[in-house]
Amino acid sequence: MEIKPFGSEPFRVIDEEGKPLFDLNLKEYGINTEILLKMYKDIVLTREIDKLGWILVRQGKAYFYISIGGHETAHVASLYALEKEDYVMPYYRTVPSLHVRGVKVEEIFSQILGKYTDPLKGRQMPGHFGKKELNIFVPGSPVGLGHNVAMGVAMGIKYKNHKRVIISYGGEGSTSQPHFHSAMNFASVFKLPLIIFIIDNHYAISVPRTKQTASETIAIKAKAYCMEGYLVDGNDAIATYIVTKKCVNEVRENSKPILIEAYTYRYDPHSSADDDRKYRKKEEIQEWKKKDGLLRLKKYLEYLSLWDEEKDLMLKKEIEEKLNNILEEVEKKHLPIYKDMFYEVYVNTPWYLEEEYMELKREMEG
Amino acid sequence: MVKKNIAEAIRNALDIMLSEDERVLVFGEDVGKKGGVFTVTEGLQEKYGEQRVFDTPLDENGILGMAKGLALYGLRPVAEIQFVDFIWPGFDVIMSDISKERFRSGGQFSCPLVIRAPYGGGVRGGLYHSQSPEAIFAHIPGLKIVIPSNPYDAKGLLISAIEDEDPIIFLEPKKIYFAFREEIPEEKYFVPIGKAKILKEGKDITLISYGYMIHECKKAIEELEKEGISCELVDLRTITPFDGETILNSVAKTGKVIIVVEAPKINSFASELSAFISERAIYYIDAPILRVTGWDTPFPYILEHLYLPSYKRIILKAKKILEV
Repeated sequence: MEIKPFGSEPFRVIDEEGKPLFDLNLKEYGINTEILLKMYKDIVLTREIDKLGWILVRQGKAYFYISIGGHETAHVASLYALEKEDYVMPYYRTVPSLHVRGVKVEEIFSQILGKYTDPLKGRQMPGHFGKKELNIFVPGSPVGLGHNVAMGVAMGIKYKNHKRVIISYGGEGSTSQPHFHSAMNFASVFKLPLIIFIIDNHYAISVPRTKQTASETIAIKAKAYCMEGYLVDGNDAIATYIVTKKCVNEVRENSKPILIEAYTYRYDPHSSADDDRKYRKKEEIQEWKKKDGLLRLKKYLEYLSLWDEEKDLMLKKEIEEKLNNILEEVEKKHLPIYKDMFYEVYVNTPWYLEEEYMELKREMEG
Repeated sequence: MVKKNIAEAIRNALDIMLSEDERVLVFGEDVGKKGGVFTVTEGLQEKYGEQRVFDTPLDENGILGMAKGLALYGLRPVAEIQFVDFIWPGFDVIMSDISKERFRSGGQFSCPLVIRAPYGGGVRGGLYHSQSPEAIFAHIPGLKIVIPSNPYDAKGLLISAIEDEDPIIFLEPKKIYFAFREEIPEEKYFVPIGKAKILKEGKDITLISYGYMIHECKKAIEELEKEGISCELVDLRTITPFDGETILNSVAKTGKVIIVVEAPKINSFASELSAFISERAIYYIDAPILRVTGWDTPFPYILEHLYLPSYKRIILKAKKILEV
């Protein structure tokens, strides 16, 4: 099966019932049983982490949550296509899937709760996470900025002659930002090893995709930059993996940028601060849930006789227990100390920040 | 020792850093073959190749995104923004990303990079080739803002900036790029960031300034001396983190302060210094702290000579402060 850029329909491998759409030779794409099962378990783990994120907000233990619900498959399957030495520029929805790259679940919960065990020391809202030793950069909240910075990282990779790839995630809303253009333009002019991976979940908070762009697809925007653009069904784990893997290989070999658009859907409100009943119907969400990536992969595994309901219940129980135990431990951790607020603004703390710290100290002790 | 003007001194600093550190990359609009619109990067592409010194598309946002990414990857980018007036398409990168990287990542990442940009008026550049936005950047925690006023400092400060572990906005006073040459060492040397310099000692009034305005201050001081008025001149050199100690010591000595900047007055860095001095040294001063600044208008074209603070405007303020 040849995978071509600029398809008008998302590239799919398995249908909504988990049946292969054509005679699929998984080995051809380096996929074996072990990878399939592992990927499925990672998607389930991601969804379970996400559920707990929402619960923490409802319990009043977290101030905020921004979810990955519905996009787990697109994230996990694309992260699977990377090698250890590659780089990830996440956006805020990517975070619950980052255990795929070796992030500890403890750290994900620590970040949601802003505990001192958060590698970011409680300095950012939940969903803004990175880990240097795992080649994961730290995103901010402004949409699309990550693409622009990832382009610069790709320039570094090329300058150093490293055979590495950076993948930058963002929603379809991020393609409206000047950062998207700057990244695409510079990356194509300088032929940089960058994959911009657009999680097209059809909404930027309340604004539907049709109001975000007049382009037929996001992927087609690549054409103007002399880049390839692939449209893939982000709820099809196998298709997402195959397309991303092919792109990662090409980018690594030839040092060039590629754009991928993964069609998917957001099940929950934009964040814990959003009410999605104002702008979309329940039925629409239900329709998309029928195409759910996790369910489709599960059905496909069942079709291959690799999985059954009993195993699934066991897995979920096991994950639930594990997560609850981890969370219980994380909840006991203390918050960052206030002294920390004044450090790491600069490499050496200037005199006025030392003074401001002393001022707060007096206030705290007074 | 060699004789160099500010533009040549900056080129010299870039040359030294390019030659000794492979991590240093110089890029921007027209910095390659053309060597920059102010000739600062002239000959560097020829010497170090297109991998190290290169032109970019005409997009400041992309230039700064690239700089940020290169710094994250362990390189030492020196990005040129052709005029600081054109930096705003990339302001999001500076404000939201570059300045906050160390803090927001819990110290995991840092962003050592230099953004070089000519700033300031006096070359008939109109609204968009003349502005002095240093106070806007000084309001952003995490950035360092450096402004030299002479060739010696320009070279030494830029070398320090490139070796610094924090992001630095290096503003170059374009009016005096070629105004004068002075003897500077040929080899590598550092001028420390965060340290002001007393350019001239005096006892009656402290003048605090930086960039091109230093030279208007010098002229004013010469004139005032003829009338027996002695001024101390502090060249701030680093806007943030500024050298509070040198300022306070000088103020304690003279008891009178005039701060001279070419930016509009409201919320200028002169305002910050004025507040700082009034909070710390009110018992040492015996006259109001005065600011000499550009007017609170957009930068004009034909009438720029009436907009920019001149030595005459400084002299008038000096006389006023002595009347109090």
